[in-house]
Amino acid sequence: MSATIEPTVNGVRRRLTVEDDDLLLDVLRQIGRTSVREGCGVGACGACTVLVSGRSVSSCLARAIRYDQAEITTADGLPEDDDVIEAFVEAGAMQCGYCIPGFVLMSHELLAENPQPSREEIADHLEGNICRCGTYPEILAAIESAARRRSQSGVPIGETT
Amino acid sequence: MPEDSFETGVAVGERWARTDGRAKVRGELLYAADQPARPCLDVAIHRSTWPHARLVSVDTTDARAMDGVVAVVTGADLHAVLGERMLTGPAFADQPCLAYDKVRYVGEPIAAVIGYGPAAVRRAAEEIDVAYADLEPIHDVDAAIAGTAFVHDELRPSAVFGDLRHLRGKKDTNVNYEYTLRHGNSGAAAETAAHTTSGDFWCPPTHHVPIELPFTAAWPEGDRIEVLSTTQTPSYVRQTLADLLDLPLNRVRVRCAPLGGSFGAKMYDRLEPLAAALAWTQRTAVRIAVTREEAFLLTTRHGAAVTGSMASDEAGDIVAAEADVRYDTGAYADVGPRITAKSGMIANGPYRIANATVRSRCVYTNKPSAGPFRGFGVPQVTWAHESLIDELARARDEDPAAFRRRNLLREGDVAVMGTTMHSADFISCLDAVTGAVGWDAPLEPAAGRLRRGRGVAVGIKAVLTPTISNATLQLNQDGSATLLISTVDMGQGSDTIMAQIAAEVLCLGEGQVRVVTADTDVTPYDTITAGSRSTYHTGNAVRLAAEKMRDRLIGLAAGRLSVETTDIKLTSDGVVSTQTQETLTVPDLLLGHFGARGTTLTTEADFATSWAPYDKETGRSPQVTEHWFAGAAAVQLIVDTATGRVHIEHLAVAGDVGRAINPALVEQQLTGAAVMGIGHALFDELVFDEGQITNGTLLDYQLPSIKDMPDRITPIVIQSPHRSGPFGAKGVGETAIIPLAPAISNAVRDAIGIRFTRLPLTPERIITALAEQHTEGGTA
Ligand code: FES
Ligand code: FES
Repeated sequence: MSATIEPTVNGVRRRLTVEDDDLLLDVLRQIGRTSVREGCGVGACGACTVLVSGRSVSSCLARAIRYDQAEITTADGLPEDDDVIEAFVEAGAMQCGYCIPGFVLMSHELLAENPQPSREEIADHLEGNICRCGTYPEILAAIESAARRRSQSGVPIGETT
Repeated sequence: MPEDSFETGVAVGERWARTDGRAKVRGELLYAADQPARPCLDVAIHRSTWPHARLVSVDTTDARAMDGVVAVVTGADLHAVLGERMLTGPAFADQPCLAYDKVRYVGEPIAAVIGYGPAAVRRAAEEIDVAYADLEPIHDVDAAIAGTAFVHDELRPSAVFGDLRHLRGKKDTNVNYEYTLRHGNSGAAAETAAHTTSGDFWCPPTHHVPIELPFTAAWPEGDRIEVLSTTQTPSYVRQTLADLLDLPLNRVRVRCAPLGGSFGAKMYDRLEPLAAALAWTQRTAVRIAVTREEAFLLTTRHGAAVTGSMASDEAGDIVAAEADVRYDTGAYADVGPRITAKSGMIANGPYRIANATVRSRCVYTNKPSAGPFRGFGVPQVTWAHESLIDELARARDEDPAAFRRRNLLREGDVAVMGTTMHSADFISCLDAVTGAVGWDAPLEPAAGRLRRGRGVAVGIKAVLTPTISNATLQLNQDGSATLLISTVDMGQGSDTIMAQIAAEVLCLGEGQVRVVTADTDVTPYDTITAGSRSTYHTGNAVRLAAEKMRDRLIGLAAGRLSVETTDIKLTSDGVVSTQTQETLTVPDLLLGHFGARGTTLTTEADFATSWAPYDKETGRSPQVTEHWFAGAAAVQLIVDTATGRVHIEHLAVAGDVGRAINPALVEQQLTGAAVMGIGHALFDELVFDEGQITNGTLLDYQLPSIKDMPDRITPIVIQSPHRSGPFGAKGVGETAIIPLAPAISNAVRDAIGIRFTRLPLTPERIITALAEQHTEGGTA
């Protein structure tokens, strides 16, 4: 059975025809959001992470049909001057880069909930995202620096997501 | 040498940002499956459920009748068209892209369904009905050597690579290649030694798990075949597909994209032969996008058994070392023979050893094929020699770091395999890592059920030799440059490194050198992007091409300014006459030369290394490799004796890189490899049951997460310049993974007094060993 859904993807309202069992992952990739990627297909790597109203969702496990009217953000839809992206770029938090958009979105979710996370809280939040290149030290540094800057500049929590 | 003691240039030694860093973070970089391509039909593969069996029949009738199916192709169909050309492989031509006579592992492709949509072709692939006639399966490497059931009836060398030209055809054996090293008489020397240690060591097969899944698209383009693929080896793939389809090289195009990690998983024959064979024989565009479960079946790291011993005299010199290495290469050899020789020859470790013997064998079993994996078989032998030497030091009651330091190879030493050491500063690596973790400070005991320990290990690896790299450089009239190479950036940062090398010679700034992604229609031959060889080999080709470009600019300037070429210098401002101080910018110089804007000046260079093949009797060679990798790891950790869990407090890794072209990227390679090494030490393992992988999903296969990070991780860059490296540089991608597992195991030994000989050191293994220690004491 196919149905029409109308999610807002990165601020743009889309009208999409989907089948019952179409995955959100595949539907988003079909409309060009290739920052959303399959790494495992079973919810165990985080490469397919998207934010739905600011909450992280593994799009490889999500049926697209359930996302009618949803507010979806993918990493490539973040603003040009996004502070988390800047922090990742400055920290050199990327090797092959495949996993990184997932980490960027998870970091946004974390900092919105907890603007000054401890190392342990960062690790707890990112445990489900795998970086096989082992970029974890740089990712940790990037998140800490983004948190520091938010606290210094007084950006209201969640503003940039 | 410390970073700042080198002559300062404009680019080399600088921490330039990755050329594609921002695009990666924003998710805008396009990997192979994201690239715009023509509409392709989808492919699903029907796979063997038996480890070893004759194919009696493959019935595709039901599958063909299903909705959305365009064609079903069996191994027999392809064999009828392609014949023996269907067998490919870098060492032996032993692997068909679809099995046609027998299957050799659970998961081997038997038939391919081509059609509309991944779901439709998958459903159809399930409807293929295969009848098998059971053959005796071979699961274990030692049983394979001893038994009379054979994975292959006959073998043919494939002769693609210079270093594998000595392979011979084989019959009636599962040992496809054997390397032996004999230096002195280790047996006799061991008999009179003061201290001897020995052990049977095992490293399980593991999987690379790059997060990007393998992907290949292929289509006929008139009389040509075009392929877009996730591969580290575009030049090899082009040759393989040309052989497979019997086409000249100029009718095969292999295009790459940046890789989302690889670590050896995406090289040689993966999805490309099947995609190309389907596209060519069916005259249609196809794409093969495999699932994670299928990716586990494409290649693995060699499981390896090592029986080893090491002996010292009273004075503490190593008088004898022996290693019997058996690499489990699975159903197809891949580059197993190269691994068997190159890693076998250093199986006794980077030490001054008076008498040494190695027997290293590459053995077929009925498992998925094992191939290259970061470290190239060396971590497996390092696991043995670094455990042995640690025990030998303990037997002598000597500090394990001090014992190593006294015996490590030094500059100018001839190693047991006959080659002289240069630019491999093991001692600085060892001292750096032990210094970092406070090796000489007393160890503070941990409280309660916790035990604290420290461990160290070193590692050696030879760079693949002989190999070839080419570079083509275009200097654009506006002064920017475009570099054409077939090195594939898979996260190691080669695009950035190569840009820095070219920029250094041509006095260009960050962002002024663009590196073109490998495309065999455009970029010149490169042996492989693997084995940490690119910085040295491609780097040298790039340096040479850039030097030719500099000389051409100087020649043009001398003519223009009517001075001698020796009077002209290239600087960041342009070409300058040292006599008259007259300066011309490069854009002006080229505009004057060509009389037009937008023009390009082109130079090219090739760089090839040579070797002396192994002596047939002794396995020795005076020039077995172009250069060495040297590294060390030291660790301080805590073992929880109740849970068996290991917590790493501080991990220090060092590598001698000759010269760091980009220290930030070098450090990142060191820490990245160390993180992967933590997994190999503590939990990473492919589990088989009767030839079937039982943990081939990411729910079951454990990978290091951010939670497994040590409290502290310290990468240390050691620089003893190589006499012919580009600016003294060598590569670094594998250096830190090599000593990692034994360093951790040696620290566990220090903490709880148990020597582990099997990897990984899972909590269950540690708990079991502790329970046995309670009753018996000893090794696990
Ligand atoms: S692909 Fe969704 S979590 Fe891995
Ligand atoms: S950067 Fe390669 S997987 Fe994370």
